[in-house]
Amino acid sequence: MSHRVLLCDDEMHILRAAEFKLKKTGFDVQCEPDGQAAWEAICEQKPDILVTDYHMPRLDGLGLCRKIRECEATSDLPIIMLTAKGFEFTSDDNLDALDIAAMLGKPFSPRGLAKCIEEILETGSYTAPPISLLR
Amino acid sequence: MKPSFVSRVPWEILGITITTLFMLACAVSWAVESFAQWGSLLGILSCVASIGSISIVWWKQRTAMSRLHRQTDILAHLSDEQIETDDFENLFPELPTSGEWSSTFQRIFNRIAELSEMMSDAEQVRARSEVRAHLSSMRVNQMREIVDSLTEPVLMVNQFEELVISNDSAKKLFGLPTDDESQHMKDVIPCEPLVQLIHETRRRKTSSQRVAEIELVDSEEEKHWFQVTCCTVDQKSNSSRADDHHMFGAVAILRDISGYKAIQKRNAEFVSSVSHEMKTPLAGIKAYVELLADGEAEDEETQEEFLSIINGQADRLQRLIDNLLNLARIEAGVVNVNKKPRSLNELLEEAANLVLPTAEQKQITLIQDLSPMYLGVLVDRDMILQGAINLLSNALKYTPDGGRVTLRSRLNDREVIFEVEDTGVGLSDEDCEMVFEKFYRVKKDQNMASGTGLGLPLAKHIVEDVHGGSLTVTSTVGKGSTFRITLPTVQVTESAVQ
Repeated sequence: MSHRVLLCDDEMHILRAAEFKLKKTGFDVQCEPDGQAAWEAICEQKPDILVTDYHMPRLDGLGLCRKIRECEATSDLPIIMLTAKGFEFTSDDNLDALDIAAMLGKPFSPRGLAKCIEEILETGSYTAPPISLLR
Repeated sequence: MKPSFVSRVPWEILGITITTLFMLACAVSWAVESFAQWGSLLGILSCVASIGSISIVWWKQRTAMSRLHRQTDILAHLSDEQIETDDFENLFPELPTSGEWSSTFQRIFNRIAELSEMMSDAEQVRARSEVRAHLSSMRVNQMREIVDSLTEPVLMVNQFEELVISNDSAKKLFGLPTDDESQHMKDVIPCEPLVQLIHETRRRKTSSQRVAEIELVDSEEEKHWFQVTCCTVDQKSNSSRADDHHMFGAVAILRDISGYKAIQKRNAEFVSSVSHEMKTPLAGIKAYVELLADGEAEDEETQEEFLSIINGQADRLQRLIDNLLNLARIEAGVVNVNKKPRSLNELLEEAANLVLPTAEQKQITLIQDLSPMYLGVLVDRDMILQGAINLLSNALKYTPDGGRVTLRSRLNDREVIFEVEDTGVGLSDEDCEMVFEKFYRVKKDQNMASGTGLGLPLAKHIVEDVHGGSLTVTSTVGKGSTFRITLPTVQVTESAVQ
């Protein structure tokens, strides 16, 4: 049985690209346009992994992660955050407490995203490839 | 004046000689019996001669003393002019030209002249010192006034780290007492990093200067960023111990850089915001290019779909860059403006049609309450369209699903007004003041929608700087906002040009 991935992003073209690649890879994919819709989907049926954006209407990525960690039934859900972040995250956000499995930056590689999901589902963690700040 | 003959005769010697002769004659007469009868007479004569001699000596002594008194009195009352004349003989006419008194008086007079000269020199030195002291005191007062009038707070501590100078700005900033009583800086400056900086600067044994940026809270509990320039001040002149190791005091000058810091922060946020806005379409382009390159899109229909998305995202990126460049061009005053008489209602209808799909996506009712009259304005079509779209897009972004956005226009005397009213989240008074600032985004609403914080500043530039109108906002938090644009009618604009 294939793993179930929940994709959450308010940019439809991002959702479409990620969904297309992950489905090709063999995942069962569900897409939601904002944090609130994703939370409702999680409550209805817990996915194996969540891939979420940060900036979203109604409920943002951090808010969604907090809800997931606070709920006993979903607190162990692996989360990948996919964001075009500049420096939105502050020390107040306390990312460590949210136990984000991987933080992927936009622009992203659909191939890399699929590999990341597979690694997390297999090993429970993800080792990001080294990046150059000057690339 | 020459002394008279009488005064020149040595009467006392003459008297004594006569007395002595009489006494010798008396003694001889008493010794020789044949002259014994003359003895008594000679004795009486010698007594008379001796009394006369004594009287003469007494009289001469008295006269000499009297003259001495007069001369010394003249000496005592010599005026500066008399001393400067250097005419000794005229000053002391009664003094004999030769003899003991003359040379003594001459020496005294010379000495007085010397002392007078020395006094005159000393007086000049004293006068110069007084002038210097007055100038120094005046300079100190001037420096004090200058330091006090500086808007930058200035603090100075001595070698014991006691606060010895604090200008009015520093007193206001730290709420320092107005008297000049020296207190240890630790007791009066409630900012540990500043105290530490002054302490470390002062401890250096050579003249040095340190610059640091420090955030501190003023006496009214407001936070400020200051650039502090701290220099050592040599206290040697105030200390008796030349080998003292803690000889340096320190002066700290604080420059308020809160505005600069705010700009720096806003620029950083802008860069972050722009990079975010650019990364989103770029992410789409890169993802679909990779899918196509990997041959994931097997059928032609999917390939076309992907290429269409890539094209759409490239257009989006182009619009963002255009927006940035437009704002930069308007600000720099290098934009080409093509003003022509236009119907405002037609422009507003066009803008409304362009944002209608977004309104429909969010189920927001877009109402067009436009004036039935022809509202003629002399405008650059593209620019006013851009301004109207920016206001409508802003209203749609910050109005929750199912809300309402109203586009209204009317004629008011010699100007036309159009308004964009929404039932969105609204703005606080503080946000209303800041919302037209470049790159400003309302913190609490940032996650509601993406944006660069450029749409409203661009609209304001277009309306006010390019078209001479006005753009204002009124708002109630939780109820909604109304953005109002006022433009002169085409007649008013044309008559102004003529």
